[in-house]
Amino acid sequence: MRSAAPFSGGWPAAGIGLLLLFPLSSPDAFFLDVFTTGFLLAAFAASWDVVGGVSGQITLGHALPFGAAAYACALLTSFAGWPLPLAVAAAVLLAAAVGAGIGAISAPLDGPFVALLTLALGEIAHEAAVGNTFFSGPGGYAWGGEGGIPVTLPWRDASPFSSYYAALAFLCLGSFGMLRFSRSGAGLILRAVAGSPITAQASGVPIARFKRLAFTVGAAFAGAAGAGFVLHVGRATANDLSLELSFQAATFAAVGGRGTIVGPVVAALVLHLLFQGLSLPPSARVLLYALTLLVTLRFFPGGVVGTARDLASRLGGKEGARPPRRRGRKRPGEGTP
Amino acid sequence: MSTLLSAEGITKSFGATQVLSGIALSVAPGEPVGLFGPNGSGKTTLVNILSGLLLPDAGTVRFDGKEITRLPLDARYRLGIARTFQIPHPYPALSVREAVRVALAADAGKRKEGGGTREDEEGPTEDLLARTGLFNQRFVPCAQLSQGCLRRLEFARALACRPRLLILDEIFSALSAADEGDLMALLRAANRDEGTAFLLVSHNPPLLKSLCRRILVLKEGRIVRERPVG
Amino acid sequence: MGPSYSGNAAAPGSSSPLPDPVASPLPQVLLDGLFAGGTYALMAAGMALILGVVKVINLSHGAFFTLGAYVAYALAERGVESPIAAAPIAAVIAFAFGVFFGKSFVNPVRRHPFALPVGTLAIALLFEQAAQMVWGPHPLSIEAGAPWIGPGGLVIRRWGVIAFLSSAALLGGLKWVLSARPGLPLHLIAEDEEIAGSLGMDVEAIRYLTFGGACAMAAAAGALLSPSGAVTPTMGRAPLLLSLVVVIVAGMDSVAAIFLLSIGLGIFGNACAWLLSPQWSYVALLAAVCLLLSARPAGIVVLAGRRD
Repeated sequence: MRSAAPFSGGWPAAGIGLLLLFPLSSPDAFFLDVFTTGFLLAAFAASWDVVGGVSGQITLGHALPFGAAAYACALLTSFAGWPLPLAVAAAVLLAAAVGAGIGAISAPLDGPFVALLTLALGEIAHEAAVGNTFFSGPGGYAWGGEGGIPVTLPWRDASPFSSYYAALAFLCLGSFGMLRFSRSGAGLILRAVAGSPITAQASGVPIARFKRLAFTVGAAFAGAAGAGFVLHVGRATANDLSLELSFQAATFAAVGGRGTIVGPVVAALVLHLLFQGLSLPPSARVLLYALTLLVTLRFFPGGVVGTARDLASRLGGKEGARPPRRRGRKRPGEGTP
Repeated sequence: MSTLLSAEGITKSFGATQVLSGIALSVAPGEPVGLFGPNGSGKTTLVNILSGLLLPDAGTVRFDGKEITRLPLDARYRLGIARTFQIPHPYPALSVREAVRVALAADAGKRKEGGGTREDEEGPTEDLLARTGLFNQRFVPCAQLSQGCLRRLEFARALACRPRLLILDEIFSALSAADEGDLMALLRAANRDEGTAFLLVSHNPPLLKSLCRRILVLKEGRIVRERPVG
Repeated sequence: MGPSYSGNAAAPGSSSPLPDPVASPLPQVLLDGLFAGGTYALMAAGMALILGVVKVINLSHGAFFTLGAYVAYALAERGVESPIAAAPIAAVIAFAFGVFFGKSFVNPVRRHPFALPVGTLAIALLFEQAAQMVWGPHPLSIEAGAPWIGPGGLVIRRWGVIAFLSSAALLGGLKWVLSARPGLPLHLIAEDEEIAGSLGMDVEAIRYLTFGGACAMAAAAGALLSPSGAVTPTMGRAPLLLSLVVVIVAGMDSVAAIFLLSIGLGIFGNACAWLLSPQWSYVALLAAVCLLLSARPAGIVVLAGRRD
């Protein structure tokens, strides 16, 4: 974790390599689609990890910025006639603003209450989306409500291959960005706030401001994922704001390893591919997600990455941290008591 | 002599219990002051009010003449008032070095949301670690430190902002002789070389006498005695 | 990605657990709200017990309410149509589940601030999805039986009276237990677990038994209110929020306060559902939770694992 490169070891590179090569095996369009959605969900999971893992702010309403961006894209292109790039930019900005708002309201609260508040906010948005219908559009029937709102795309039908690679590129860039953020100075302070707010405060950290920052950054990336998702699917639906979606993000992060960014990405890909690839009905999928989460929380609280690290350190001998590569400065240490 | 910290009329109750009644005290720049009192006298409450963790029911706290009664903990740290905790709450996932880095990053003038370059903060970090005798343990996760090292880390954290006033809540209690000696030397050095004033809360009279120039005695929420040492 | 909580059911009866509000004059709305609220008090009291003794925000509480309603439905399908018979059976089943979850999950992970809200939400979703897989997502209804007609054409639903009286009786019993010797361990654990433990109390056992008991209370409420409207997998979400609002506002100390506030909210919710729609009463509850949390940032309870 302290090596100079953001990715430790060759595993992520190997994984990306495999993913790049996968479409060359001429898979079914269905599987390409599953992967594409998986990449976007993985980016969404990573964005949850910025808020809930790195910064320790348990959010159960992360679908809110995701869905807000989705709906913004749809409404701006289909109602206001905005060109797509502008709509996407506005959607991401909106998601960031939503995140800042959530952060501002939840900053004075402690863990479980943040979860409760974000859950309630997400559900309000979801109810609003389900209940609202708009009368418009060519054809004259109502948009919104359960059916959702379509996005007006400048292309006719995207090829599954280009969607796949676009989503993969987005996932890699987004994850890289989030990883850099979590390892930056701001990321360190966020991890301090997550670990011991009182000590961070006594070290001069303005807690509320950093909590807002966490929510804003996480929401911006969630919004980007939401915009990507709605571009792929073609319409924004109330499911993009659902509690089940927020729950999935938390599950991916818990299973992968909270705070690692990479863990949630991997968990999201594996779980999504597994459950969606087997064509399980939605109920069964949510049920399995819930079971996976419960088992993980009970027996593997560190998630995949955390458990792997524990095993590695126990097998490797020396407990605790490894020193980074020195960059020149050597100082005589004092005797420690 | 100007006053660094002054408090007047500090009163605090929790429910029906009056913990502090009309406390008044002052600390001059560079002055080492002790606060002595038995359990239940309100020491920790007073410390929490002076450091910004708690709001008093009545009274004012001033630093350098400016009122800071309602200023929160982190803002006071950036002003140069640092406090340590009797029971430290270490970061479970950060190393010693990282914990010190957090305090340095939040130091006035160095606060950057984007984070400074690693090289900028290496020097001061290593200095602090060396001074507090934690250099050899800088990669150890905070949660694995011994009690003595946790107190040293508290010190390092507090010193990171080059404070003008240290408020130390029972920092010497239950320490080994070696740890206690090291920390006492550290405190004396900070006071002597950097002119850092401190308010040391302790229930150990010999310790207070050897470190402080003036001792306040707190009993049942009131300062009953104030005596110079020596 | 799973079903959404849909209030747009075209089936008879709304998807809200409150009585069908169509064309009800004000006294009717008040009466039905009184019955519903009084029964929700049972659930809210359970939530208060969990918050106070187990020190956990239990997001699965609504799922146990739903469990109670489906148990009543299953019994009604087999000819046992009386809620007063269904309630104890539902309570026993819920107690078993609650003890199981309390022992296997809630107690061990209690100290991890992440695991509890997310884990109890997982339990809730588990129940919801299981219910959907077994009974389907469509609203089911239970035969209510002929109501009495009061003055001015006021419809006094028999199950409403039974539910209200049962709840009041159970809450009275709870209040008695809490103020007498058997309730002492609960108070002590709520105050200071270490002292309770050092006095030789099996704190772990009391915790999961309390958790089970509270789940039983929620299920009983669900069974008692099951004739009121449509039984759906997500019907427990609104009662969960209602319980939370009651406990946040009324606190955990007074059973009477919980009872009265639940009645108030039941009436308010029913009025909302009648004037606007059931979805609006759900949104109103959500908004109430947000406002309360924003206005009381200190939080109400010192939860396990939290410091300072």
